[in-house]
Amino acid sequence: MALIPEYRADVPRVERFNFLARFSHWGHTVTFLLCLFTGLVLFLDGVNWLAAIFGGYAGAGLVHRIAAVGMTIVIVIGGVFGFKGVIEWIKDLLRFGKNDIIFVMKFPLEFLGFPVKMPPQTRFNGGEKGNSMLTPTSVMLLVLSGYIMWFPAIFPGGLVRVAYWTHDIAMVLATFMVCMHGYLGSFHPGSGESFWGMWKGTVRADWAQHHHAIWYEEAYGDKDQDKTE
Amino acid sequence: MANLTNLYDVSKCTACRGCQVACKDWNQLPAVIEPFKGNYQTHKDTNGDTFTIVKFMEYEDPVDGVQWNFLKYQCMHCFDPACMKVCPRQAYSKTEWGATFHDPDKCIGCQYCTYACPFEVPKYRKREDKITKCTLCVDRVEAGLTPACARTCPTGALTFGPRDELLQVAEERVKFLRVNGFPNATIYGKLELGGLNKLYVLTDTPDKFDLPLNPKVSGNTVFWQDWIQPYFGWLIPLALAGSATSFITTRILASKHGAHGEGGHE
Repeated sequence: MALIPEYRADVPRVERFNFLARFSHWGHTVTFLLCLFTGLVLFLDGVNWLAAIFGGYAGAGLVHRIAAVGMTIVIVIGGVFGFKGVIEWIKDLLRFGKNDIIFVMKFPLEFLGFPVKMPPQTRFNGGEKGNSMLTPTSVMLLVLSGYIMWFPAIFPGGLVRVAYWTHDIAMVLATFMVCMHGYLGSFHPGSGESFWGMWKGTVRADWAQHHHAIWYEEAYGDKDQDKTE
Repeated sequence: MANLTNLYDVSKCTACRGCQVACKDWNQLPAVIEPFKGNYQTHKDTNGDTFTIVKFMEYEDPVDGVQWNFLKYQCMHCFDPACMKVCPRQAYSKTEWGATFHDPDKCIGCQYCTYACPFEVPKYRKREDKITKCTLCVDRVEAGLTPACARTCPTGALTFGPRDELLQVAEERVKFLRVNGFPNATIYGKLELGGLNKLYVLTDTPDKFDLPLNPKVSGNTVFWQDWIQPYFGWLIPLALAGSATSFITTRILASKHGAHGEGGHE
């Protein structure tokens, strides 16, 4: 079985993520992973080899800060130019309801590969909604606590002490979500087209209709009818 | 081996700052020139190139007029140091005679220790990207000498020796001071934080000397080091193991139930 489904340009496709959303996504991927691997050298013991990749502990610290600034820039660009998209994203997250709860409850079976019938989902399914809330919150906490630790002299000592464990908790939560997200967004067979949605921007229309019925109906359903009329 | 420590008797100190100079001299620390701040204290706090300072605390006594409290300030060499607890590179260690030793070769300048220390003593030396602090002159003591500050003190305010002996001296001195015009005289460092490897004889309560009355390691630091660091991180391998399990089971079950069809349909 192929790791991810083949990209099919010959079937009808619909846009799922615009360029800015994809830029933000992959910008975060690169900067987050750089920050993660350079940061783990402090969180874990006995990982001198990991530090060595970045030229030692000082080098890892430098890469960590450069990547952190890069991440901040990605957040600002995404937030400013993609403001409308962020609002739409948040609006969809606020639609968290019964279908999402059923989705999350049934998801462990789907995760392991048992055939499961899921209720119709909006643009983001129950699990994606959870990820969309938890990961950005963790990243915001990481950025804020990170700058506090970077410039401790301009913040009160108590806040700096809070920043240390906040950075750790947010890092573990974000990394947990990123591990799951990375797998579910690529090699998990049930996710199908979602990788292409974030890589190329479009997904197969039949996949969208099947996995995100409510979204497909709202975003493309009427238009399709317009075309046929 | 018995703990070796400094006893600093405030009542004998003239704030000549010989200790400060001797410390700079022995540890080859360059001068740090700070602007005049309206009193005689040379530096606001210890810094990357100043391991010890003499603090000047001015106050107005209704009878005696303007008075000074002096305090030699440096690393307290706690028995159970918070700096050692938080350091991610194990740069801190305790010598068998009680000094808290910081190894600059292991230090990566993260400054976790600065904010974990109840006295905020470890300081960042920017030019080397390292933390520095008082060493209790480990190098001198292990060669059979006394620390530079204690050796140079002209009034006998600073002495060096076995901690239990100096504690007896301190207790007698406090008794003497209490009946000779200093009713609040007290010892500092005997019990604080479970014991400090620096002893003080103070002529008044510790807060009058800018010392915390009841120093303690922040709950934030304890929470972080004792709970978050050892246990919370296991979520990450859990996610990886979960994904690996799913990667295998989905493919086994797919071969049983039939694969996801075109476009991910069941």
